Amino acid sequence: MSVYLLNIGVFICIYGILALTLNVLIGYAGVFTLAHAAFFGIGAYVATFVAMNFSASLVIVLIASVLTAGILSLIIALPALRVRDEYFVVISLAIQILCVTVFSEWRSFTGGLGGIVNIPLPELFFGTISTPMEFFLLALGCMAVITVIIGLIVRGSFGRSLMAVRDNESAALALGKNVARIKTLAAALSSGLAAVAGVVYAYYLSFINVQSFTLDTSVLVMAMVIIGGTGTMFGPIVGAALLTMLPNALSYVPFLPPTEIGSIQQILYGLAMILMMIFRPGGIVGRSRSKRDEK
Amino acid sequence: MRYGSKEAENVVTTAISPAQASSDTAGIALRISNLSKSFGGLQAIQDITLDLHTGIITSLVGPNGAGKTTLFNTITGHIKPDTGTVQFEGRSLVGLPPWKIARMGVMRTFQDLRLFMHMSVEDNVLAAMEPRSWFWQPAGRQANNARRERTAAILKETGLSAKSGSLAGSLSYAERKFLSLARIMATDARLWLLDEPAAGLDPPSYELFQDLLRNQVQRGISVCIIEHNLDIITAISDRIAFLDQGRVIAEGEPSKILEDPKLIEIYFGGGQA
Repeated sequence: MSVYLLNIGVFICIYGILALTLNVLIGYAGVFTLAHAAFFGIGAYVATFVAMNFSASLVIVLIASVLTAGILSLIIALPALRVRDEYFVVISLAIQILCVTVFSEWRSFTGGLGGIVNIPLPELFFGTISTPMEFFLLALGCMAVITVIIGLIVRGSFGRSLMAVRDNESAALALGKNVARIKTLAAALSSGLAAVAGVVYAYYLSFINVQSFTLDTSVLVMAMVIIGGTGTMFGPIVGAALLTMLPNALSYVPFLPPTEIGSIQQILYGLAMILMMIFRPGGIVGRSRSKRDEK
Repeated sequence: MRYGSKEAENVVTTAISPAQASSDTAGIALRISNLSKSFGGLQAIQDITLDLHTGIITSLVGPNGAGKTTLFNTITGHIKPDTGTVQFEGRSLVGLPPWKIARMGVMRTFQDLRLFMHMSVEDNVLAAMEPRSWFWQPAGRQANNARRERTAAILKETGLSAKSGSLAGSLSYAERKFLSLARIMATDARLWLLDEPAAGLDPPSYELFQDLLRNQVQRGISVCIIEHNLDIITAISDRIAFLDQGRVIAEGEPSKILEDPKLIEIYFGGGQA
């Protein structure tokens, strides 16, 4: 398989992981957050730090990144999730901006705006992961494991609790659901697993800087979830695949000047989201509007 | 202890006898004492003192705006009272969050039902049955299967078996009302506060509702119900508390309350307490 396609495949998996984990919050808990890229970044920076200073072992790096992102999100989520929906969006925006500032200014840890280069290759039990195919399998494996973890959790009792809170918070409270804890656990799960995408990303590019973890990325991942289908199991992966391939597909359109592809891409994202909201608010994989609204 | 406020004394004709109102809490599920709540200038409930007895159905009756739903909201922790105490089985509920009150055994339904609309009927009931808010429930697969069986039994009892897999949002009005009841049946609550559970039910559904409620009370559940339809109140109530303008102005057996011309006048309009 060509390196070009494998490269796209790795990015689909990375964004797939981000979309899957964001969907836990947006789709199942009904919590809209704009800070997902921040936890992607935390995962990547912690992975880089551990790989360059302690051990390039994939397992150790994964554990360190997931735990750090999960615990940080707990610390942030505990106070933030006590406010109501629309205020939480504002707080999450503030968290995102704050993290980007830290990423760009904490030079000893993040390398500042220039970022960090020469991140070592990941080591697994049988050796070093180095070829594009190996990286693709790593990314695919991570995405598969996360799909299974999230699938098990959201289809079980915790998923029901999450959806109950999403559908009607006061009724969930009245039935004895500890809504604050449920939301906090969901945030920790979502952020912790989002860090896995950061680990794969840092190892794969061997270079990271703050540009990859800005608000734009948060919005892009949110678009993937909404277009694919919020609250569905595979919708986020479909959304991630479509939006990751879009820029590549556009480069094949002969009459588009390559320099304009970036802005055309933004217009298409916007257009796609508007059309989805009107004609298929459940997303590509989600229920069609007529079925959802039947009385 | 007297039920009702000083201003309403001339209206109270049916306050319970001193023998019944001993300070002993045996037979009392919920004891409300001097409970008040105001919103800005509006005194929603005022100095309410009321006992809900164990294992019977108590109806809260009164005109719109009498404070019935506010009383429910205050008991269940959705609203914090300004003054007063609420004790369930001897333990104070004031200041606790709604979910803790629910877990202590006091649960409610809502007038607007508040179902989990994008979840299946079965999941609505299961969600109510699962007590913990962690990633997993205790006791593994066996308990899980037991919960599913219990859910099926509850759905059968409420006539919703055929709709088990349907989204709650796709149910008819009467089915939604029964799902709201099925949800509370799935909990371990010992005191149910039901906000207009029978309003808008057709006669056959109403029969089913009445049977359900009687069965539950026989199993030891205490019920407090807000209801407007006097026929329904007469048929199901063991006791009635009459509220007007945020006060309990009478409490007692249905025959006595419903025969009081002054209360009836307040209820149907034209009179003021």
